Amino acid sequence: MIGAAAQTAWYVYGVVRVSDARVAGVDAVEHGALAALVERVSLDEFGEDVLPERLNDRQWLEEKARAHEGVLVRAAVAAPVVPLRFGTIVRERDDVASLLARNEEPFERTLALVDGRWELGVKGWQSEPAVEDAGGPASGGPASEGAASGRAYLEQRRAERRRADVAAGERATVAAAAHERLLARAVDGVVNRPQPRELTGRDDAMILNGAYLVERDDDALGREVDSLNLEYGSRGYSFELTGPWPPHNFVVGDDAA
Amino acid sequence: MTALAAEDITLLELVDRVLSKGVVLTGDITLSVADVDLVYVGLRVLLASAGTLDRLAEEASS
Repeated sequence: MIGAAAQTAWYVYGVVRVSDARVAGVDAVEHGALAALVERVSLDEFGEDVLPERLNDRQWLEEKARAHEGVLVRAAVAAPVVPLRFGTIVRERDDVASLLARNEEPFERTLALVDGRWELGVKGWQSEPAVEDAGGPASGGPASEGAASGRAYLEQRRAERRRADVAAGERATVAAAAHERLLARAVDGVVNRPQPRELTGRDDAMILNGAYLVERDDDALGREVDSLNLEYGSRGYSFELTGPWPPHNFVVGDDAA
Repeated sequence: MTALAAEDITLLELVDRVLSKGVVLTGDITLSVADVDLVYVGLRVLLASAGTLDRLAEEASS
């Protein structure tokens, strides 16, 4: 389709109750009891032909993702909101209304779930394990030289592997125990994939990347994070509270359309 | 509890939430972004800017 006019579409940030349609300071499309938080965007930016390139532009992506989060944050401080995935775009304003109509039930369920609550993140970290000297605790005997060194080498490698397995097992156990305790302080919780070191830029390894839905006036999750730090700190683990966030991780009926 | 604030959030956190989570709507009225693997896109952008992509490419070719 070629034409200079009407090269716009509608970006949908999230869904709120119709009585909260103005909370985020953006345009809203109403349908029944629901309202979609929307903004008219240019297809020069979000059109199918230019988007792949735009998405590879870090500055563009960061700016747009931040704007998306900004609208959801403004809505979430004031009212229950259903966050939509970044880049949800429809062509016509009427399409927004049909999108609300089609997904009325999951949207209503999510709004009921997140009402009066918000999402907190907890990240668990393990500090770089201390490097043990060769001939440390696991080698268990005087270092042998000469003919025996080949076997000694293999023994040492085996011991290293055992130690690594034990360490990985301990990490998993600590992460699972921590999540279980945090979950007990929350309405709901999910464990996401830990972010890799290449991306966090930290020396510590992330062992837990959890998200928890909590009542806004309840700080039990924060206290649990404090106790986890007290208990596991001496073993090289630390836990960090992030947020509050819009309830990205607690939407109902994903992929319903 | 501090208030929600969008300013101090890193791109990594945005990828982890804004690009990875939230309701995904598909169907004939949504445009092409629905078909894009945003998590992959976001991580690729992050890795490229951290110089990691180059390093990984070098390792793969050596």
